[in-house]
Amino acid sequence: MLINRLREARVAKGWTQAELAAQVGVSRKTINTVENRVFTPSTTLAIKLATALGLSVEQLFWIDR
Amino acid sequence: MSEIERIEKAERLGRSRSRVFFVMAIVFFVGQIPYFSNPGATGDAPFRIGAWLILAMLMLLLIATGGFLLRGRKVLDLLNDETSRTNQLASQAVGFWAAMIAALSLYVAAMFKTVSLNAAVHIIVTAGVGSALLSFATRERRAHRIG
Repeated sequence: MLINRLREARVAKGWTQAELAAQVGVSRKTINTVENRVFTPSTTLAIKLATALGLSVEQLFWIDR
Repeated sequence: MSEIERIEKAERLGRSRSRVFFVMAIVFFVGQIPYFSNPGATGDAPFRIGAWLILAMLMLLLIATGGFLLRGRKVLDLLNDETSRTNQLASQAVGFWAAMIAALSLYVAAMFKTVSLNAAVHIIVTAGVGSALLSFATRERRAHRIG
């Protein structure tokens, strides 16, 4: 299962879901579903999210074994 | 329009779209009750079939495009972003399987009772298109509700 700490990273930046969505060019719904682990983002989106939050993809997403 | 305003507009449109699609799918299914409860009626058959055909084609277009009637390229891109495209593909798969199950069921039914070509097409298309739209609307509504 893909785990992420998107919500923590976003809150640490002081951004709302809509602000992060605007940074990466997706809807707020997509940020919301990724944060709640309902939706697994594509590699492209994962890289965009990590870049926007100033983290590496591995720091933002990892697989729970 | 700023990017945040576009996000908010896409959010509103997305919620409205999921509600409209949900209602359309229910109306589409419920609208078939008179057709199947009285298949022999021929008085207004051309009108009923014509209305069904137009609605089915409209719904097929909506499933394929995610809302071709909406304007504004940038907002439309946000509306049909990664989550919606994934939901769209999953819903099309649901529609495919519903159509296959309907077709196979009709094949079996035709061994015992004559089924006209029109009725068979009507049932298969209704099952496929209706379930795909219902599935998309449900997935989108769920995605909007989370959080």
